[in-house]
Amino acid sequence: MRNRLIPYLFVSPAMLLLLTFGIFPIFVAAVISTTNMNISAFANWGNVDFIGIDNYTRLFADKDFWQAIGNTGLFAVVGVPAIVVLSLAVALLLNRSQKRFFRSLRAFYFIPAITAIVAVSLVWSYLYNTQFGLLNYLLSLVGVDQVQWLSDPWLAKFSVGLVAVWRGTGLNIIIFLAALQGVPKEYLEAASLDGAGEWKKTFSITIPLLRFAIFFVSVTTTIAWLQFFDEPFVLTDGGPLGATTSASIFLYKEGFRLNQFGYASAGSIVLFAIIAVVTLVQLRLRRADDDY
Amino acid sequence: MKRTATSVLATLAVAGLTLGVAGCSSTAPEGDAEGPVTVWVMGDSGENFETLVADSGIEVEVVAIPWDSIDEKLTTAVASGSGPDILQIGLSKLATFAEAGALLPLDDLIGDYPGLAADNFPVGVAGLSTAVDGQTVSIPWVSDTRVLFTRTDILAENGIDSPPSTWDELRDAAKTLAARGEGQYGYYIPQWDAPLPVEMTWSMGGDVIDADGNVDFDTPEFAAAVDLYTGLYADGSVPVNGDFDQTQGFISGVAPMLVSGPYLGKGIADSAPELDGKWQASPLPAGDGGSVSLFAGSNLGVWYNTDQKDASLKLLEYVSQPEQQLAWYELTGELPTVNAALEDASLNSDPNVKVYTEQLATAKVLPIVAGWDGIVGTELLNALNSIVLTGADRDTALAAFYAATEGLAIK
Repeated sequence: MRNRLIPYLFVSPAMLLLLTFGIFPIFVAAVISTTNMNISAFANWGNVDFIGIDNYTRLFADKDFWQAIGNTGLFAVVGVPAIVVLSLAVALLLNRSQKRFFRSLRAFYFIPAITAIVAVSLVWSYLYNTQFGLLNYLLSLVGVDQVQWLSDPWLAKFSVGLVAVWRGTGLNIIIFLAALQGVPKEYLEAASLDGAGEWKKTFSITIPLLRFAIFFVSVTTTIAWLQFFDEPFVLTDGGPLGATTSASIFLYKEGFRLNQFGYASAGSIVLFAIIAVVTLVQLRLRRADDDY
Repeated sequence: MKRTATSVLATLAVAGLTLGVAGCSSTAPEGDAEGPVTVWVMGDSGENFETLVADSGIEVEVVAIPWDSIDEKLTTAVASGSGPDILQIGLSKLATFAEAGALLPLDDLIGDYPGLAADNFPVGVAGLSTAVDGQTVSIPWVSDTRVLFTRTDILAENGIDSPPSTWDELRDAAKTLAARGEGQYGYYIPQWDAPLPVEMTWSMGGDVIDADGNVDFDTPEFAAAVDLYTGLYADGSVPVNGDFDQTQGFISGVAPMLVSGPYLGKGIADSAPELDGKWQASPLPAGDGGSVSLFAGSNLGVWYNTDQKDASLKLLEYVSQPEQQLAWYELTGELPTVNAALEDASLNSDPNVKVYTEQLATAKVLPIVAGWDGIVGTELLNALNSIVLTGADRDTALAAFYAATEGLAIK
C-alpha cells in the first residue's frame, strides 16, 4: 500500500503546479464568465452580479468576436501546414550532411525561435514599412508600386502570418532533426540495395517513420496558432480594422483594455473549448491509423 | 532536479504573494505613515520628476510607468489594493480610474491647500470639467493640445501664402499640395487619432455629448465633420497607409500639413534643425463653431487608500506652483496647466508656444466617460476608417457606431 503512494509523492509537485496554474484558473474563468465583473468590482464586490449565460449570448452576437474567430481559423488552416511542411523540408535538407557548415546552419535556423519578439517585430516593421521599408525599396527597383504590407486588410494577415511562420519553424526543425536521428540506417541501406532513389527513400521510408514527430509538431503548432497573439499584437495591434485580430487579441482587448473581465472570461472559455475539441480530434485521428 | 527547484521557487513565490496581499490589507494608521511618497509618473520622465521635487522637502520615490502598460498596471494595483500615493493619469483614462475607485475624492481636502483651488487652472480642465460623479478626483498637471503644423516654405512654393485658417481652406490647400505629383500628399490624418474627428465636430459648432450627458454623435455637426474627414481622403490628399510616419512625412515634405501636438514641434526641432523657420504652428482650422481644439494632458490623483494623505497633497501643491510648472517645461517640454505659468512672458516668447497656450484657452477635454478610449475612440476610428479605407457604406458604418456608443454617459 505504501509503495503505491510513492509515485504520487513524486508527481505531486508537478501536479500541484498544474492544478494551481492550469486547472484552477479555468474554473475561476468559468465562474467569472457568468458574472458582469468589470474593474468596478475591485472598488466594491457588490458591483458583481450573476448574469447567467448573458455573456455567451452577447459573445455569439458580437461580430468582432466572429471576425476574430474567423481570422484565427484562417491562420490555423494556412499556418499549420505551412510550418509543418517548411520545417520538415528544411530538416530533411539539413540532415543530408553532418559537416560543420550544415551544423552551423542549424543554429542559423534556430535563431528566430530564441530572439525576443519585440526586437523581431521592430526589424520586421521596418522591413514592411510602406515609405522606407526594405521590401518596398527592393520592389521599387524593379518598378513595382508601393505595397501596403501592414495597411491592407488582406495583405496584413499574410505579413503577420509570415513573421509567425518564420519564428515558428526554428524549434520544429530541431524536433524533426532529432527524430531523423532515430530513423534506422538499415532500412535506408536495404532500400538502396533494392534500387530506391533519394525521393523514393524520403517519401516511403523517412517520412512515414517520422509520423510521430509530424503528429507532435502538428498538434503543438495547431495549439500555437489557435492562441496566436505575439506577432499581430506587436506589429499591427490587431489592425487594420480588425483584420489581424486573433481570438487571443480580442480577449486581451476586452479583458485588459476595456476591463470587461466577465465577458473576456466567457470568450476564453469558448476558445478553450475550441482548442480542446480540435486537439481531441487530432488525437483520435492518430489513434485510428496507429495500428502497426 | 530542475523541476524540484522550479516547484520550490513557485511555492515560495505563492507564499510571498499571500504574505504581500495580507500585508496590504492591514488597515492604514491614522495620520501619515513613515517613508517616502510614491509617485507613478507615466512615460520616461521619472528622472526628471526626481529632479523637480528634489528641493520640495518631501521624500519622494518615483516609479516610471510606460504608457503602454498603464491599464494592466492599474488593474493589478486596484485588484491587490496596493498602489502608489500619487499617480499621473491621462485625461482620457480619468473616468475609468475614478470609477474603479482608485482615486481619492479631494473636495473635502483641498480647502487647506490654496494652490490646488480650481481657479488656478484653465476652465477647460479645472473643477467640474474633470470631475467624476460631481467629485474632484484629480489636479491638473501638464497640458497638451492640438494645433495645425504647416511647412510654410512648401505652401509658399505652391501659392499658399499663409497656413489655412478654416477647414475649407485646408481642404483646398491640401488638394493643391497633393497635386505636386505621385507620392505627394497635402495633409496627414493619423489612423489612430481618435480625438481628431471630435475636434472637427467641435469646430463645426457641435458637441458629442447631449444636454443630459449622454454620448451622442448623431448630429448635423458630426455629419459635417465626417464629410470633412472622408472628403480629405476622397480628394486623394491623405496617405492611406497606416504606417505613415508623420514626423518623417512632415520633414521630407511629403505631407506638409497636419494637426498634432507640441510633441511634434519638439520632434521636428530636434531631428531637423535645418528646417528652422520653414515650418510653423498655427491655430487649429476653424469651422462654423470657431477653432476649438482638444485639451489633452495629464492630471495627478491621490491613491484611494494612501497612508500619506497630507504629504501627498503637499507635494501636489508644490508641483502646482507656477515656477515648478515652468521648471517642468524646461525639463521635459510638457506645457504647464497653471494659469499663471501659461501666461508667463518667457514661456510665450516662442511664437509656437504662444499658439499652444492661446489654443488651450478655448480647448475642451474629451468627455469624462469611462471607456471613452476603449469603446468610443476605437469604434469611431473603425467606422471612419472603414469608410475611407475599405469603401464601407457610410450610413451602415455610422449606424453601427451610434449603436455601439448607445448608453454611454458622463457620470
